Amino acid sequence: MVSLMIPLATPRLDSDLIAESRARPEAFAALFDRYAAMLYRYVSRRLGPEVAEDLVGETFLVAFRRRDRYDLTRPDARPWLFGIVSKLVSRHHRDEAARYRALTRSPLDDVAESPAERVEDGVSATAVRPLLAAALAHLSKGDRDVLLLIAWADLTYDEAAQALGIPVGTVRSRLNRARRKVREALGHTNPLRDEE
Amino acid sequence: MDDLTMLRDLGRGLEHEPPAGLARQRRRLLDEAAGGRRRRLTPWSGGRRAGWITLVAVAVVTAVLVVVPTVLLRGTTGAHTVAPLTGDRPAKKGEALTVLLLGSDRRPTSANAGDLGERSDLMVLLRLSADRKRATAVSLPRDSMVRIPQCRSADGRTVAAHQDMINQAYAIGGLTCAWKTVESTTGVRVDHAVAIRYDGLEKLVDALGGVEVALPRAVDDPKAKLKLPAGRSVLDGRTAVAYARLRFALGDGSDIARIKRNQALVQALLKKFSRIDRPADLAALVRVAATSVTADAGLDLDTMLGLALDVRRAGTRVTFVTVPWQPSRKDPNRIEWKQPDAARLFAQLAAS
Repeated sequence: MVSLMIPLATPRLDSDLIAESRARPEAFAALFDRYAAMLYRYVSRRLGPEVAEDLVGETFLVAFRRRDRYDLTRPDARPWLFGIVSKLVSRHHRDEAARYRALTRSPLDDVAESPAERVEDGVSATAVRPLLAAALAHLSKGDRDVLLLIAWADLTYDEAAQALGIPVGTVRSRLNRARRKVREALGHTNPLRDEE
Repeated sequence: MDDLTMLRDLGRGLEHEPPAGLARQRRRLLDEAAGGRRRRLTPWSGGRRAGWITLVAVAVVTAVLVVVPTVLLRGTTGAHTVAPLTGDRPAKKGEALTVLLLGSDRRPTSANAGDLGERSDLMVLLRLSADRKRATAVSLPRDSMVRIPQCRSADGRTVAAHQDMINQAYAIGGLTCAWKTVESTTGVRVDHAVAIRYDGLEKLVDALGGVEVALPRAVDDPKAKLKLPAGRSVLDGRTAVAYARLRFALGDGSDIARIKRNQALVQALLKKFSRIDRPADLAALVRVAATSVTADAGLDLDTMLGLALDVRRAGTRVTFVTVPWQPSRKDPNRIEWKQPDAARLFAQLAAS
């Protein structure tokens, strides 16, 4: 029973870890253990697996070197890490656009299918993929960052704003614009889509 | 489907799992941290494979492991909790506790507009006896046709009561709606509700060092990227989730066959969990679990800690059952609960 109490009594917030790492640098590895997989998945979606590994490593090096500047009143380090990731991804924006363009030509045959079942999404989902990919390829960097932080990284508006260092209002307007463009791309061939 | 849902689906298709090579990046970080010198890993930072583990199935394990950390690490922040139900509900009797557990595709991020992509893949009603020595886990197949009561959707619309598959409740109004649906269709008062994302389960399995399953025959399903030999195998998180969700390559292709596999997995997880005795290992589990859960606000720290301790102390024995069912008369691709057997089961459960 006692053994159960010990870890439970010392919950570790991201900010606690970062604070600790200022005195004990190796403590930063715990942050890696928490989030490297999540960041890897996100980057693999945007840039593919080849670039993702190195980029995630780079992200943590950058984060580590900036740990003294982290705002310890923010318990959750995800927005901070996704902010760094977004900057590093933007260096590859040509590759990213090319990746999406490639998807407009071929279906998802060279990319990993998640173990999730695909029964429910049927034919229409497959059919819209090239259109979605084309829309992503044409978005501006800023709009795409916001859209994907929200759709793919599951950040809230506030978190996305923190990550990119922009006001929440800007997040909303970029998201609206990006979604409008995506819907336009879909609209031409998918009159059955739901309306909000 | 709206545009965000389609976009998420595209994203899932593009995603790759972290490779073992990511460990190199971790070493790179540690080298930097050590100023170029290699240092021994501390137990806290996870000397063992912390995890490119991704992983699986749901239930009691998660009730104990997952909820505690969530409440601890997330505190009572609104994003990951829902308010307890109000209004006309079945009466609470005695000290026994009933918890609704959901396994879902995605984290319910109700703060995000248009987040309609979540589905509850697995629903389990867990009843813990007053002395916590016994537990009964009743699986509710996701394609059960039931009456979904009036619910409020994430964007504030009111969705009228209607007949639908039970897993639609979660898609319509998240944990709260699933909770209401289960209470109203079973007549059992549900004290707490918890939703766990599949990727959280993946991490749990990995943190537990994998689980062992026994297969009657080999599985090779390119669609699920799953290839396993007949006989005993140890599954890592990702494989375990794929196995849990696999529908067509094994058994009769029904949700029922899948539930059986999930139950077997949960048993295997429980076995592993009961053997953990090092605080560091438990802490690692707590940590990985914390990011993937939504729970009701009534599950506060004291409640959960108490429950976790009780369950461990009592060495709770779990019985798994599936609600009695039959193919739906209206749609043979769906099922309906068999009456009066189902009603009798729930009455027994409520009285136990």
